[in-house]
Parts: sequence; structure tokens; C-alpha cells
Amino acid sequence: MVQYNLESNITNEPNLICAFTERLDTANCLEIEDELINKVRESKAPVIFNLQDVDYVASAFLRMCLKVAKEVGPENFSVINVHPNVKKVFKIAGFDKQISIT
Amino acid sequence: MGNTIDANKIMEKATSAAAIFGQLSQEHTDRIVRAAYEAAFDNRVKLAKLAYEETGKGKWEDKVIKNAVATQFVYDDIKDLKTVGIISEDEENGIVEIAQPIGPIFALIPVTNPTSTVMFKILIALKTRNPIIIGPHPNAIKCSTEAARICYEAALKEDAPEDCVQWLSEVSMDITHELMGHKDLSLVLATGGAGLVHAAYSSGTPAIGVGPGNVPVFVEKSADARFAVEQIIISKTFDNGTVCASEQAIVAERAIADKVVEEFKQQKCYFLSREEGKALEKVAYDPKRELMNAEIVGKPAPVIAKMAGIDVPDDTKLLLVRLDEVGKECPLSGEILAPILAFYKVGGFDDAINQCIDLNFYGGTGHTVSMYSNDEDKIKKFASVMNAGRILLNTPSSQGAVGGIYNTLNPSFTLGCGSGGKNITTDNITAKHLLNIQRIARRRVNRRLEHFDQNLYFDESLDANAIEKKFDMND
Repeated sequence: MVQYNLESNITNEPNLICAFTERLDTANCLEIEDELINKVRESKAPVIFNLQDVDYVASAFLRMCLKVAKEVGPENFSVINVHPNVKKVFKIAGFDKQISIT
Repeated sequence: MGNTIDANKIMEKATSAAAIFGQLSQEHTDRIVRAAYEAAFDNRVKLAKLAYEETGKGKWEDKVIKNAVATQFVYDDIKDLKTVGIISEDEENGIVEIAQPIGPIFALIPVTNPTSTVMFKILIALKTRNPIIIGPHPNAIKCSTEAARICYEAALKEDAPEDCVQWLSEVSMDITHELMGHKDLSLVLATGGAGLVHAAYSSGTPAIGVGPGNVPVFVEKSADARFAVEQIIISKTFDNGTVCASEQAIVAERAIADKVVEEFKQQKCYFLSREEGKALEKVAYDPKRELMNAEIVGKPAPVIAKMAGIDVPDDTKLLLVRLDEVGKECPLSGEILAPILAFYKVGGFDDAINQCIDLNFYGGTGHTVSMYSNDEDKIKKFASVMNAGRILLNTPSSQGAVGGIYNTLNPSFTLGCGSGGKNITTDNITAKHLLNIQRIARRRVNRRLEHFDQNLYFDESLDANAIEKKFDMND
């Protein structure tokens, strides 16, 4: 359901890239939350959430984003490839003021 | 959640809930509403008893009915309403309407309906995908927050957004004002006293506020006196008169007044002497606040009589006081949410209407008026001179104004009072008032304007009539 890849970007800095491949409803988020947060803690690398295949997020996902931002600092956390539906969620919630959403 | 009184935290949660809510489909939304409705309805008796125990106002049995109306009747009214996405398409005029949520709502709850109003407001908020924050009355915190909790937990079971329902477990003027004026709040849905409603309107946030009424009942000479009195008693004794749309004053034409008085007496209502009226005034009215005394709100007639030192039979249903005047010097002519009625005997039809106008404009502008009559012309004349959102005919006004029981008005526990009550609408507030409607406007060129020489607008010798003629010629 959720793929994690520790990759290097063009600046050769390691990133933890999490590519989500499903609807992020409450049940799915609860299933992955602990594992994902542990991974973030362990890697200590900047985190990128790739939402290319996600068209719905639940409250639990927003909470997970807040936890990640707290762990690595908002400047080291970004969300990419967001669908318009999901972009609107981040906008209304005001997350785009703290986290890079593209 | 319930323990926080940090307005910013509450609003952060509400804003996140609003963001998630916006993604939900109609089907998902309706499942959430259904779940909240069922849970609320199933707890109607428990919550009614809790409300009565905590506030000491009204009757728990009548609060059960209020809870049933606020859940079952309201649900039935809104369940098929389209509130998500495209709600109408008019191909001919090129207009497509799209429903969007308005955003976080702060709902202020009155002590007189502390559980029914909570459940009503939550249902219409959920139906429109708006998060809601319940602000209970300080004397009804336990029952109001319990009603909110029950709805919220049921909604969560259907995967509703977290924090889509929040509540204040402590209430203060500071937190109320802070929330009302918060930059992220979209609407204050205020039901309560005049001061609270005024504060809501002054907050800078859009508000729908419903304040006091002062409902005159015109018993016109064609009315059936027995029926009228029976209906008025049903209404004014309901929850011991706590409904803001309950009758406040009877205005009877001379031709029928004696019959009306006799009927009240026969149906266990007590007419006070002048001296008893003065004694009642002292306990029913607080001259410092220039308002009804909160101590007598929702108390039974014999209890109030005892407080005033008046001896009445134990089964007395209503206390009636004969009055001639309306205004501050005559405090019982204003709103008293208790089983107390003013009684005016007047000459003819015009006298009665004038008396009703005085009462209507004395603290009840825009709210509700009532009439018992079988004369259609007189009904229309009466209605045309009243300033009221609801003109109820041959109907108990408490139950009639709420809608869905004795008429087809939308069932609601927030009754719009129009500009007279400083409201934006005279409607019974329901889900449709909690939506932003977006309109796609397709190109549809005005054919008359297309063939009209617009340079003619610059010819000052052409007046409106001449321009209209040229406009139509090209049609």
C-alpha cells in the first residue's frame, strides 16, 4: 500500500520519499502511521510525500503530516504531486503556509 | 477536545475538519448524517431527562418531543437534499449550481432547548459538510455537551472528519467572543437572548442570530373559541412555555372575548386580579435587566403563582393577566417564557390589529404572530400588517413555528426573524442556509441587447420609455 524509498536527489542529499498508492482514508492511515513515523525518526533525512496516486486524504493523514513536520522540521518536509482535490485540502487546512506543497 | 478552551486550537482543528469534509461525496455525507441522527434519536429520552435535571426548566416529557422533532423531523426534512457538488442544472439559462460548504460554524445554544438545538444544528452542519463547535449555555453544559458527544461519536463511526463536532466544556464570555470573532470562523449560528445575538452580529463574522419573540395571538370573531383556547393551552404549556415562538398575549375582539375568557377558565386557566397581576409582575420581571426573570422561565404555573404569593389550584395550567397597555410600564406585555399570558379585550377588527402591531413591535419584530380565524380576507389583512417571519393560523404557535408538525414549514430550532430581528432571512433556518452556492454561468447573450444600438444610451433626449421601445422593437 505504501512504498518507502530512501533516495538521493540531485543534490545528493538523502531523502526519505514516501510514495502513497491508495486512498488515504482513516483505516489506511492508522495502518501505516506508526511504521512510517518510526521510519522518519530512524532515517533523520528530509521527507517527501509523493501523492501522485492519491485523490482522497482523511483527518488521520493531516495528523500524520503534522507529526512528520514536527519530527524533521517543516523546512525538511514536502508534499509533491498533489491532485487538485488534495491541494484544496492543504489550502483550507492552512498547511501550505508551513509545508511545501506542490 | 472538550477540555480545551484555547480558541486557536479549536479553530485549527475545525479548519482541518473543514478541509477533509470538502472531499466527501454526497453518499458518504448522508451516511454520516444518518448515523448522527440515529444516535441522537435513540438518546432522546436520556438527553431530555438530563436537560431537565440540569436546568430545572420545562418538562422532560416535552423535551423528549423536542428532541424527536430536532432529530427525526429534521432528518426527514433534509435527508434527500442535495448538498454536495452539482445541485441543479438549467440548460436553457446556462446556469449550473454547485453546493460548497461554508466552513466552521460556532453554534450558540439556549438554556431552554439545550439538547434539541444541539442535535438540530449538528445535523444541518454535517449535512452541509461544515464542522461545528457547540457553545452551550453556562447552565446547561453537561446536557448540551453530551448531546454533541453522542452525535460526534456516531459520525466518526462513518469515517467523518476528526473534530467535525467540537464543544466547549467550559463557557466564558471571553472564549465566546474570541471564537465569534476568530478569523477562521465562517458563521455564528446564535440562538439565545438579545445580548448574545447582538454580540454575534457585532463579531465581524457572518451570523444568523435568532433572539426574542413577543407573539400576539389574535382571536378573531369568526374563530372557534373553544378550539382556539385548547390549542393555545397546548402550546403555552408545552415545556412550560420555553419556546420563543410561544404565545405571549391574547388579543380578543369584544364579540368573542367573553367566550374566550370562559373557555380559559373552564380549561383550568386562572385569571389574576389587578393586585395579583402586580404581584406576578414583581417575580416575573427583572426591572434592572428589563427582561423576564430567569428564575421563572420554564416553571409550572402553580410554582410561579406561589413565588408571587398567589393562591391558585394545583392543576392550574396558565396564569392570565388582563392588560390594556403595551410597553415598559407594563412588563407582562413583553416576552415571558413561562405559562403566563397577557389578555387584551379590544373593540373591533381594526382595534385588534392595532393592538397586535403594538405587541409585535414590542420586542418581537420579525419573529412570529398567531391568529385564530376562519375569515380569509381578515387573515390576509392581518398578515400584511404584521412584521413576522411566521404568521400561524389556527395552530399552537410553539409547535407551529418549529415546523413540520402542524404545517409544512422546515422543521427548525432557529427561526429567522428577517430585518426586523436583524436577521438576513425570515426562513426557518435549515441545511440550505449553510451552503455557499457557486454558479457556472454559461454564455447566453441577451438577444435584445445584441440587436440594440448601444450608442442610443448616449442620447440624453431619450428617456426610459423611449429606450424601452427601441429595445423591444429589436426583439
